Amino acid sequence: MEQITVGIPRGLLYFRYRTVWKTLFKELGFKVIVSEPTTQETADIGSALTVDEGCLAQKLFFGHVSSLVGRCDYIFIPRIRNYGKSRELCVRFMALYDMAVNMFRGSGQKFLTYSVDEWKSVSEKESVLELAKTLDLPTKRVKAAYKTAVKADEERQKELLQKQSERLKRNGLKILIAAHSYVIEDNFVGKPITEYLKKSGAVPIRADVVDRDSAFKKSLELSSTCKWTVNQEIMSGILSYEDRVDGIILLSTFPCGQDAMVNELILRRVGDMPMLNLVVDGQSGTAGLETRLESFLDIIRFKKGAL
Amino acid sequence: MDFIKTVALPRYAEYNCTFRYILEKGLDVKYLLQPPLTQHTLEIGAKYSPDFVCTPFKTTLGSMIEALEAGADTLIMIFGLCKLGYYGELQEQILRDLGYKFDCINFSDFDTGRKKDYIRGLKRINPKMSFAKFAVAGMEAIKMGDYLDEITGEYYKNYGFAQDRKAYQHAYKAFLRDMYAAGSKSDIEEGYRRAKDAMSRIPLDKPLKPLRVGVIGEFYTAMDAFSNLETEQKLADMGVEVHRWMTATNRVIHYPGETNLNVKIQEYCRYEMGPTSTANIWSAKTYAEKGFDGIVHIKSANCTPEIDIMPVLQNIGNDYKIPILYLTFDAQTSDVGLMTRLEAFYDMIAMRKKVIV
Ligand code: SF4
Ligand code: SF4
Repeated sequence: MEQITVGIPRGLLYFRYRTVWKTLFKELGFKVIVSEPTTQETADIGSALTVDEGCLAQKLFFGHVSSLVGRCDYIFIPRIRNYGKSRELCVRFMALYDMAVNMFRGSGQKFLTYSVDEWKSVSEKESVLELAKTLDLPTKRVKAAYKTAVKADEERQKELLQKQSERLKRNGLKILIAAHSYVIEDNFVGKPITEYLKKSGAVPIRADVVDRDSAFKKSLELSSTCKWTVNQEIMSGILSYEDRVDGIILLSTFPCGQDAMVNELILRRVGDMPMLNLVVDGQSGTAGLETRLESFLDIIRFKKGAL
Repeated sequence: MDFIKTVALPRYAEYNCTFRYILEKGLDVKYLLQPPLTQHTLEIGAKYSPDFVCTPFKTTLGSMIEALEAGADTLIMIFGLCKLGYYGELQEQILRDLGYKFDCINFSDFDTGRKKDYIRGLKRINPKMSFAKFAVAGMEAIKMGDYLDEITGEYYKNYGFAQDRKAYQHAYKAFLRDMYAAGSKSDIEEGYRRAKDAMSRIPLDKPLKPLRVGVIGEFYTAMDAFSNLETEQKLADMGVEVHRWMTATNRVIHYPGETNLNVKIQEYCRYEMGPTSTANIWSAKTYAEKGFDGIVHIKSANCTPEIDIMPVLQNIGNDYKIPILYLTFDAQTSDVGLMTRLEAFYDMIAMRKKVIV
């Protein structure tokens, strides 16, 4: 039998779930392809495809989807709504699958999806099983594959935390970057910024790399009604790492309203810390941000008496 | 004597009459109605808000500032889906940083899904509240909301065809005044009947097939006439029959539920795509099926869920060959620009009607 190919767009939740998704589909015997890292072209294609008003992260995502159309049997776009009450994701993640189906409906491309809505008692595991049913896969095998995937992801998270604590021990200015994983890890958005910091002798630390289980509770110290899981994790990261870093960069994509709200609150509540609010857009990318980063580092060095 | 709180909420279309009724009749506090929204409200709100937050955040922040300036000592922040659930905490912080002193009751703090927590929230408004009294006032306020949406709907459907437009508008405005002043169930009923009578007594010159436009869109901006620069009134002025399913009572109280609605739009979407998405997609499809002449989609700048249903709406537009006008509103939207777009839209649908009929 011909092996089925599943395409995964390298955007948005890919960066949070890549280990789960890739392991899962491989374990199930699919061939997995992931779209290439973001370039200016991805941004241009994504912008042309989508409504002007969407966020850059979404435009990049559809740029990635578009690059997979026609190259795989299925493109995988899950819908993840929440992990329970007050544990939500951006409403955008409710819409992605249906947006893609509507945008590419003339292309003949097929899509795969599952929906997680734990508030309504639909867990990730159940939705994975549901998805497997539509593909006629035996439940037992799917359960085993899912277990392996979850395990692999736990390993990855441990590794991320491990690397983070190593970075915290390094010499040099430590700059905490508060951003979604799809912002900080993206080749076009966050990469140039972390690269620049490294080149300037600073050590980038990720606010979103935290122990996820305790993040929600911890974040309540900073904001009691923020219901977005990733922002909760970022806030708990700020609280956990603020004593060990020299400055914070709040990094988001243009024009993300959700991050704008949370970052505004952070700016108003986290005292006594140099903070830089950076918003990356699709036309200029990170060009021009270097001067702002440079002067931010200068200010911190000056404060520390190193200049 | 006990200290009685003077409570305010932001302005939201004409629904403040129902808020007032619940607070005064159901919770025995004093309700303060701030002045109507103006460009100034939006400007001060925008001035203190983060740039990229959706516009209703800015409008409601401005409205809260105006309430505090007018003497409110307590602000109620409501909870809700989407960013709305986070408005309150940030708005409170901004107002505190501006130096305002007030008691803030943020229902997002009590939004746990458990009934007893919402009751705790109500007790924060008035610790001596009677639940029975609140329930009665609540039911009556819902009735008021229903009447409000019904009369408002009727007004925009018929205004453009009333022989005496001035009198028609006068009857509607009188109804609103009655609802804001209502002190009892019978006041509500009487006000409703008076409006019904007055409006039905004004003859309409409606052609057999008038131009019909369905309005859909985001929860705040599509309903709030100030926020959408009176789009519905402008369409009605041109002689269009304006329909809008998306009202507070339809979405919150009488909502058929996402699965019910979803069944009817399954060829367009598999999931509920956002808090108002299912209802708006379903409305758009229904207007299209009923042969409406056009659809107007209204949202605030940066409204995530309404941006995200646009690919679906575009497909509905193509499938049913129905023109859709997409309007986005923020603090900079100009009345002149809007008028130009609405006139062009009107000309187009009027032309199509001539060709098709
Ligand atoms: S949180 Fe912001 S950046 Fe992320 S998908 Fe939503 S709007 Fe876009
Ligand atoms: S529905 Fe739109 S306007 Fe309302 S909170 Fe969400 S993004 Fe803002």
